[in-house]
Amino acid sequence: MLKTTLAGLRAHLLRLMLTALAITLGVGFVAGTFVLTDTMKAGFDRQFTASAEKVSVAVLAKDDKIPESTLRAVRAVSGVQDAQGQLRGDAPLLGKDGRAYGETPTLGMSMATGALSRYTIEKGRAPAGPGEAVLEKTIAGHTGYRVGDAIRVLDKKGTAHAFTVTGLVDVGVDQEIGFRGAVGFTRPVAAQMTGEHGYMEIDVKGAPGVSDDRLRAAVAAAAGPSFTTVTSHGLAKKLAASSGLDVDSIAMFFLAFAVVALFVAALVIYNTFNILIAQRTREMALLRCVGATRGQVFRSVLIESAVVGLLASALGAIVGIGLGYGAALIFNSGSGMPGGSLTVSPTPFLVGIPVGLAVTVLSALMPARAATRVPPVAALRAQTEGRVKGRAGVLRVIAGALLGAAGIGVAVLALTSKPGQTPFLMVMVAGALLFLGVIALSPLIVRALSGIVGWPPARIFGVPGRLALANSRRNPKRAAVTTVALTVGVTLMTMFSVALTSVRSTADSSLRDQFPVDYQLSTQTGDDDRPIAGDAVARLRAKPEFSAVIEIRTASATVGGHKEDVGSMTQRFLGRDLKPKVTAGSLTDLRPGAVVLHQRRAGGLGARVGGTVSVRTRQGTANLRVAAIVSGESILPDVLLDETDFTRSFGPKDPEQVYLIAKPGISTLSSRAAVDDALKAYPAVRVQSAADIKDQLSKALDQVFLLVAGLLALAIVISLIGIANTLTLSVVERTRESALLRALGLTRRGLRRMLSLEALIISLIGALIGVVLGTALGWVAISAALDSAVLGLPIGRIVLFVVLAAVAGVAAAIMPGRRAARTSIVESLAAE
Amino acid sequence: MTSTVVGAPPAVLAENVVKEYGSGEAAVRALHGVSVGFARGAFTAIMGPSGSGKSTLMHCLAGLDTVNQGAIRIGDVEITRLSDKQLTLLRRDRVGFIFQAFNLLPTLTAEQNILLPLELSGRTPDRRWFDQVVDTIGLRPRLTHRPSELSGGQQQRVACARALVSRPEVIFADEPTGNLDSRSGAEVLSFLRSSVREMGQTIVMVTHDPVAASYADRVVFLRDGRITSELHRPTPDSVLDALKRLES
Ligand SMILES: Nc1ncnc2c1ncn2[C@@H]1O[C@H](COP(=O)(O)OP(=O)(O)OP(=O)(O)O)[C@@H](O)[C@H]1O
Ligand SMILES: [Mg+2]
Repeated sequence: MLKTTLAGLRAHLLRLMLTALAITLGVGFVAGTFVLTDTMKAGFDRQFTASAEKVSVAVLAKDDKIPESTLRAVRAVSGVQDAQGQLRGDAPLLGKDGRAYGETPTLGMSMATGALSRYTIEKGRAPAGPGEAVLEKTIAGHTGYRVGDAIRVLDKKGTAHAFTVTGLVDVGVDQEIGFRGAVGFTRPVAAQMTGEHGYMEIDVKGAPGVSDDRLRAAVAAAAGPSFTTVTSHGLAKKLAASSGLDVDSIAMFFLAFAVVALFVAALVIYNTFNILIAQRTREMALLRCVGATRGQVFRSVLIESAVVGLLASALGAIVGIGLGYGAALIFNSGSGMPGGSLTVSPTPFLVGIPVGLAVTVLSALMPARAATRVPPVAALRAQTEGRVKGRAGVLRVIAGALLGAAGIGVAVLALTSKPGQTPFLMVMVAGALLFLGVIALSPLIVRALSGIVGWPPARIFGVPGRLALANSRRNPKRAAVTTVALTVGVTLMTMFSVALTSVRSTADSSLRDQFPVDYQLSTQTGDDDRPIAGDAVARLRAKPEFSAVIEIRTASATVGGHKEDVGSMTQRFLGRDLKPKVTAGSLTDLRPGAVVLHQRRAGGLGARVGGTVSVRTRQGTANLRVAAIVSGESILPDVLLDETDFTRSFGPKDPEQVYLIAKPGISTLSSRAAVDDALKAYPAVRVQSAADIKDQLSKALDQVFLLVAGLLALAIVISLIGIANTLTLSVVERTRESALLRALGLTRRGLRRMLSLEALIISLIGALIGVVLGTALGWVAISAALDSAVLGLPIGRIVLFVVLAAVAGVAAAIMPGRRAARTSIVESLAAE
Repeated sequence: MTSTVVGAPPAVLAENVVKEYGSGEAAVRALHGVSVGFARGAFTAIMGPSGSGKSTLMHCLAGLDTVNQGAIRIGDVEITRLSDKQLTLLRRDRVGFIFQAFNLLPTLTAEQNILLPLELSGRTPDRRWFDQVVDTIGLRPRLTHRPSELSGGQQQRVACARALVSRPEVIFADEPTGNLDSRSGAEVLSFLRSSVREMGQTIVMVTHDPVAASYADRVVFLRDGRITSELHRPTPDSVLDALKRLES
């Protein structure tokens, strides 16, 4: 029997090629993910080791910084050749616009000298004294500063100091610096700028011949137990751990998409084996006639799938090495991560090949069972051509309806509960259920839709169009699986773009409706002890360009027993220029002794309008009456006190945030000039315009979309292979039919067109189902996740998906179409 | 040997047709210079032992296959010089086919199958002619059925109707009754004969069956790729005799 199987396999090898390609790509994705993460990990490890190797022993600060006295003690240890402390603190770099750059203040740090200098100076040289600084290369790129440029950096008190950039430094992977950017100074300058005196770390270089371990013991004794002392090896580990690089979660993210690709591949495999078995009914029956048992037939199909799965998966693992390395190169060039040579562990093979094999064999299981049901008498029946099959089974309809109902039920439940993460996850479950329901009902859906989608081609293209329509409906199950494979990718793609567009329109709408502000002034994050100076606010008030200058102050208090931030705003603008959504009560009731709560706090406090909430401050506890409850995305403090109450409790304070509203008719240009003029002396104040915020969000969302689209592309390619595959197999199956049509006078071109149109119909149906499902899921997901979501519909993008799917579908029909048109009529007529 | 028809030019004419399959050592010569004409409005049968080249000749005559030497005319068109596209259009507009089996597209109803050649050429069907053909073959109640819901005989009759409805210059039939029992076979054959008698249709039919051949006006005998003899106004007995002579 094995011989027969292998002979059959050889005979059908060509037909299995496309299936194998689907598996290869799916496995390639999985293997590629491992290769990528392995390569990244290895690159980082190398880098951390290289960086740490310059140091023999390091003393690391724990809770407290390391004092100068400890440095002196360490220097005195015998065997220590050199020891230097590293200072780190805030040192906001001013951008070319004269304002502190970035969301958080730049890090100022001391640069070690001599053998201990851990960071690579890429261009120029290290700072040698006052007035000189090096820039970390990423922030240099962002701000546009180059070696030789003059820069200004704020010191602890907010005074700007001028420096010359002497060089650019590559710090490698360092989460803190990666996030904030860094300016490097000599140690005394760093101390002066940041106002820091304790060290983060003391790096020690041992004298020649002194082992790291012995030196570590000696240094640890000198440094005392309040600090951690490690060898260079330990330091490398520490660096890796604190780099914040979670290679594993990158892997998880990619693997999620790999699973989608494999699922699509499974659909393609399932379809292929089903078709092959339908085509080989005679052969199977003949085997049964000559005495093969059901078990043997079953096994022969499974062995066939196993051989295909194994070969394709092995190839996939190899393809994955290429994919993974390519991805690693892209990552490196994009984000300043360490380059490095390709690293391949056994994982891609150990995981990829079994996964590919399992997916293939499992997908072939049902078709194999179908093969065992071929009765021996089928060998005697003349008609082996694909028949026009009956309708979907009752079981299928019931299952589909139940799954669909369950999906809708969960979605409704998610929509009715409070927006947040749990309902969002519920929507994902609902999506999966709905999708399974659609799969179950797909023969019906595809049949119904083919009538609609196929109508125009049938009208426009005459006979080929009508035949294509008829062919697309002749075997609804087969067409359905082919279609659903494409639907998977299109659904996810649509869901993401609908969700992202909705996020954007939600943000836009809350910006517009609730905060019609033109500028947001804030301090850099983590810089709370330096609020916006009252003088700056006074200057802004003096500008005639603005109709409202709204100050937001916050402080910490105990609300209803929990520590909570409370705040106040320039109250006369409340309800006039800032209009949060009021769900209960009235904003005008916010008077001394009252409070306005955001819904998300009110729930937890059990507070209602008219009720009271206890607020404890240093001045004592007050029971404040709840004047109103607001909802929606809000820049108001969640617990908003009356302004006079706030000042009485916390004293006069500078605001953490200021919102500016320009008078009607003032151009963006002149309002911006007014802001810049008022804040000239306050470079640390961060200015963002509403347009900037929108822009940043747009850019961020577009990046997310591109990443997701790139990762989903493979699943879509696999589903297109599925379409090509189904068509190729159908062409084989319909050889006689094609010959007949050709004999009756259908031109080669007509035959090709017929297949293209069939592919067009299939892919359009797949895309349409995907678009509808994806839009619904995207909307439901966003409604479930966001408070007062505003739904958006990226019509342009969706139309693009449908058009691309249609074009790709037609392209998938090119090869099968050529094949069908090439075959000789006479030979095909003779073929059985 | 050339069979000449006196009077009107033949509907189909083959001159010195040579057909080889394969090339070099493995070449098989299926037709050795066949010259034969088929008169307009006549029902001609082609007979001969298995492998004698009947199907090959028919495929060449119908422009389904190319020839190595010689010329074939359908009406006034020399078809051996046509491109694939031109041949396709010629078949579409001037030739009808009935095969032994698998004549119909499974996705189309009987009516759609019958009208297929007309639709391919974009002609509007002549309704009266269509009705007449459908009524003659007695398939009106079956028009909306698909091939899988029809018996073998019914399927062949639908195929006949399809061949006739476009009023082609010639209909080629390769063992049209080969898969049918004698009664359904007789129905199909008398239908073909009446279309020749009453509508002036030209039909060329390949068959193994002397009874089937006896429906024709003339029988042409083929052996080893050559025309050996012919018979006019055949009866089953005279055909059997001729066949016996052929085999010996
Ligand atoms: N595609 C082909 N390749 C090679 N030889 C072929 C091919 N088709 C037919 N032949 C050969 O040509 C000769 C004539 O074949 P043809 O099919 O025309 O015979 P036939 O008279 O129709 O036979 P039958 O009565 O069995 O249908 C035979 O010897 C056959 O083996
Ligand atoms: Mg034959």
